[in-house]
Amino acid sequence: MKDISLGQFYPADSFTHKMDPRAKLVLVIAFIVMAFLAKNFLSYFAVLICVVSATLVSRIPIMKVLKSIKAIIFILVFTGILNLLFYNGETVLWQWWRIKISVEGIIFSVKMVLRLVLLVMGTTLLTYTTTPTAITDGMESLMKPLKYIKVPVHDIAVIMSIALRFIPIISEEVDKIMMAQKARGAAFDNGGLLKRAKALLPVLIPLFVSAFRRAEELALALDARCYNATPNRTRYKVMKFTWRDLVGLLGTAAFIVLVVALNNNFWGAYASPASVWWLFSV
Amino acid sequence: MSMQGKDPENFTIGQNDANGETDCVTDVGTPLIKADGVTYSYRNGEQVSRGVTDVSLSINRGEFVVILGRNGSGKSTLAKLLNGFLVPDEGIVTVRGIDTADDDKIFEVRSVVGMVFQNPDNQMVASVIESDVAFGPENLGVPREEIEERITDALETVGMEKYRKGSPNKLSGGQKQRIAIAAILAMRPEVVILDESTAMLDPKGRREIMDTVLKLKREKGMAVVLITHYMDEAIAADRIHIMNDGGIIASGSPAEVFGNEDAVRRAGLELPVAAKISLDLKKAGLDIGFALTDEELAEEICALK
Repeated sequence: MKDISLGQFYPADSFTHKMDPRAKLVLVIAFIVMAFLAKNFLSYFAVLICVVSATLVSRIPIMKVLKSIKAIIFILVFTGILNLLFYNGETVLWQWWRIKISVEGIIFSVKMVLRLVLLVMGTTLLTYTTTPTAITDGMESLMKPLKYIKVPVHDIAVIMSIALRFIPIISEEVDKIMMAQKARGAAFDNGGLLKRAKALLPVLIPLFVSAFRRAEELALALDARCYNATPNRTRYKVMKFTWRDLVGLLGTAAFIVLVVALNNNFWGAYASPASVWWLFSV
Repeated sequence: MSMQGKDPENFTIGQNDANGETDCVTDVGTPLIKADGVTYSYRNGEQVSRGVTDVSLSINRGEFVVILGRNGSGKSTLAKLLNGFLVPDEGIVTVRGIDTADDDKIFEVRSVVGMVFQNPDNQMVASVIESDVAFGPENLGVPREEIEERITDALETVGMEKYRKGSPNKLSGGQKQRIAIAAILAMRPEVVILDESTAMLDPKGRREIMDTVLKLKREKGMAVVLITHYMDEAIAADRIHIMNDGGIIASGSPAEVFGNEDAVRRAGLELPVAAKISLDLKKAGLDIGFALTDEELAEEICALK
């Protein structure tokens, strides 16, 4: 079995894997902004190129990235169909009662689905190339300025780190309790939804009891290791901003400029768009 | 070690490295931990239950002390009193002369007295071993370069250096517990208290921990307090205290304490096999000395005429 605490992390020795987690977090935010900036198909295409090139640089198999879309397939179909049927467009193709399908509706829902797909592809690249621990470290470092408005940044980071640490332990415990209850004749996988939910109660209660007991011992262990002994806490791990991060940031910035430029047809640099061009720039 | 020549002005808690060679000269004889007439009871609303009653003991530098007792004998309460987790109702506990009731100096107490608990899983805060070991020194504000050195040193001491970059999830109980010990060692304490740290382990894991404990004493000159209900873990101790009902009912060297059949029986403990056989043989009328280990027993039996 794969180590559950690593989440989606896909180990590889790539440009992106070696980047500073802070830079990657910033890039993901920039990417989300980029995906929302895109207006016409041409700029969507630019965002797609951005995701694909980032995937290639990360040495993650494209199929793996596409697989992440599977998780949101329901949302995609749902938003796609709703937008298709209820978009208030001009050029109506088919209408029945309040439901109508229009050219604008088709274009809008395709764009919507495309945007969601691109967003998921881009953001999963972060979790594929960065371990949860590194993400936590990066977030702590990025949130540091919040210290000045009395946000307990370090405590939050420790909480996140402990949560990550305990995910595999708790999941192992769930297995153990389920087996113990099965040995006592509990059935977890038959009956209706309500019955199944009820059957989980004898798992949840011991789980909570043990989680609280763990928390108590953990609190002592934190004290034993002088947690909060001094405000001048040091950090063992240092993150370094390297040329890779600079290249990544510049590249993403270039893509954002490109998307904005395509949105505006290069501000009329090309006087009259050809018909093919028009198709892409709706 | 790296700590020599520390500017006393910059002395922070936790940097009081176990390089006691120089310190030792000045306070030879003064115990590291001293408990004097300590009583503690747990209060739960109206209900009051006795934890420990009028216990006095001292832990000296480099000493391996075992506190034996069955469940509910008060041995874990005593452990928590020794590093200031609990403050005695009556009596006083001092660590290097510092009263554990002094809230301002509590972290100094805890950086001198490290504590390892029963369940190794509940003591780790990070998903990468080296980050977990770094947690203590980070909290104490140790400079980065030195943390690096401390991690290497601590992991080498417990023999886990090759797992440094790995995750603790896949390790055995004994290995996890060794990581927990390393995490305490990285704070450079002078005493390590193992509060039933072997209770959840299999025999192999227990042996690993015992080997580590003996290594700490021998190679690092550290004092170790082992709290357990396994008598065979007490064989190598310098001193044993047997606890029952919140009080110490017998103290002394392993041979003295194990030979005190009455105390062992009252505490509900089980003698190591060799000790039990030698005592039974003696009772049966054979002229045989007291043996603690299998080897000693074999020698005693061979010496019989």
